[in-house]
Amino acid sequence: MTLSPTVPRRRAAAGEAHRLLPRPLLVIITLFLCAMVLVPVLYIVLASLNTDLGVAEGQFWPGSFSGTSYTKIWTTANLSTGILNSLVVCGLVAVASALLGTITAYVLVRFSFLGRVTILRALVGLQSIPGTLLLLPVFVLFSSAGNYLGLTVIGTRWGLFVAYLTFALPFSTWVMVTYLRGLPRELEEAARTEGASTLVILFRIIAPLSLPAIVVSGIFAFLLGWNDVLFASVLTSPETQTAAVALQVFGSTQEGGALPVYSQMMAAALICAAPVVLLYLIFQRYLVGGLTAGGVK
Amino acid sequence: MIDDRTTTRAAPGTSGDGTAAGREPVGRRRRGVTQQQRPLWLLAPGGILMTLVIGLPLLLAGYLSLIDLDQYTLRRWLQAPFIGVGNFTEAFQTGLLHSIWISVSFAVISTAVTAPLGVAAAIVTQNAYRGRGVVRAIFLIPYVLPSFVVASVWRTMLQPDGIVNTLLAKVGVTGGLWLSGPKSYWTLILVEIWAAWPFIYLMALAGLQSVDGEVHEASALDGANWWPKLRHVILPYLRGPVLLACLLATLSHINNFTLPFVLFGAPAPDDVNVMPMIVYVTSFQGLRFGLSAAMAIVSLLLIAVPLFAYLRALRLDVHEDGRAR
Repeated sequence: MTLSPTVPRRRAAAGEAHRLLPRPLLVIITLFLCAMVLVPVLYIVLASLNTDLGVAEGQFWPGSFSGTSYTKIWTTANLSTGILNSLVVCGLVAVASALLGTITAYVLVRFSFLGRVTILRALVGLQSIPGTLLLLPVFVLFSSAGNYLGLTVIGTRWGLFVAYLTFALPFSTWVMVTYLRGLPRELEEAARTEGASTLVILFRIIAPLSLPAIVVSGIFAFLLGWNDVLFASVLTSPETQTAAVALQVFGSTQEGGALPVYSQMMAAALICAAPVVLLYLIFQRYLVGGLTAGGVK
Repeated sequence: MIDDRTTTRAAPGTSGDGTAAGREPVGRRRRGVTQQQRPLWLLAPGGILMTLVIGLPLLLAGYLSLIDLDQYTLRRWLQAPFIGVGNFTEAFQTGLLHSIWISVSFAVISTAVTAPLGVAAAIVTQNAYRGRGVVRAIFLIPYVLPSFVVASVWRTMLQPDGIVNTLLAKVGVTGGLWLSGPKSYWTLILVEIWAAWPFIYLMALAGLQSVDGEVHEASALDGANWWPKLRHVILPYLRGPVLLACLLATLSHINNFTLPFVLFGAPAPDDVNVMPMIVYVTSFQGLRFGLSAAMAIVSLLLIAVPLFAYLRALRLDVHEDGRAR
């Protein structure tokens, strides 16, 4: 996508004339904001490298560094099942949303028809409706599939997959709409005059040209699923729970124990964050731009 | 932010009518082609799926709010008794107004605090200096971390025997309970602020980059001091994008379920019983599905105001962008 906040080089080089703040003020604000972010993050990392006992004693800086929390956590919490489930479900959601989103967005961008603007508006609006409003009827539909049709949907992975499409699909479609609008028509028009069918144009011309955007829309769909707690906490069973639910359950159950396992808690949280951070590190430019384009985390 | 090229293209889609006449000249020239061979059948897979997984549930949510649906009637919900607005009147009698108040005040306070933070962050990273890339990356950390991770780690840090109280005790302050009682409301706001300000930062940064280099040079030649320059030259450029960001941020604060749920657990303390929490608890712990559907509908109406403003502002912003160029 062409949506990343990077500054053109000439402006960066211009120097003093463009300074917006006096240097002392700039330094103070920067340090304040960095400290606000880094102090908790530093503590999380340090605590995860500490022992449960050390964290319980209130150490900020570990008495001794060890990675034991990272090895113990796999037996303490149901984390591996959760991560596997999250990867499978969100991976499928990503592929389905990116594929369907691209096709739908192409028609929405290139062809005019009655109701087109309404659909575009709805795609934006849908990203802001409360998740609880969708979860309730989805839950009732899923449970009645069990009652009326004898199908078990609640507690299965594919039930969660369908539920995640409710927010991933409009979002991926919208990401593709914003991208495809910027794509010049000339290439496909040339192909069309030579008699290429729409499908050929879509898969031979549009798809290769917009591959980065397709990947990004898939990643966003993946992240929406990965970050969800609401749907997963209702629609999964212990066997199919996602990483987010596994962490949440671990967090709320461990507090009752005699010795708090805060260090393992921090390690588990960082493990759950790792795939997301990794995706951002790899696709930083595209994802950051896309965030503001869609306005959704 | 959508970049200039896409924004101008975006104008016909997000605004006005969808007819070919409202589109760019290129569209008009090629109207013959687009009109004759519209492969609308390609909409079918995505369209049918969205109708099934979004349209149908939304309609059903409206119907659910009008029937008396609980754990007994759930098995045969098609036969559940129709009670009209009964759920709505009951919702307002059982603390919904309190939740609306908590949600709205929480969202407004969070936005009001994150907006200046985000704008300040955008301004301090606008000028290039050695290490700016690192600072920008640091600013993004709270936003990149998944909400459930942020909530989990803060929940751990804010335990009665957690690090926050330990550090506070060292400077002689008694922290007390952060996750229950009246202080939980401010805990929710503080954690939300910590997690959400980078969004405003990103939007403000995009706005700052639409300021031309010439504007800086002109005001520098005028010998303008930093504050008048910032106040009268730079900040006006930011008004549109930041207002838009504030609208979106407010919407996402109101809809935020993950943070209160993971921080406080369900049922939440009374002081943080925000709309998504009361809906969730009423349905999946109280098993009063009809009642909670009514509450969910009310929360939709609640966000309809800022959402409508946003959908309109989206168009306004495009126009402003166009003028700015």
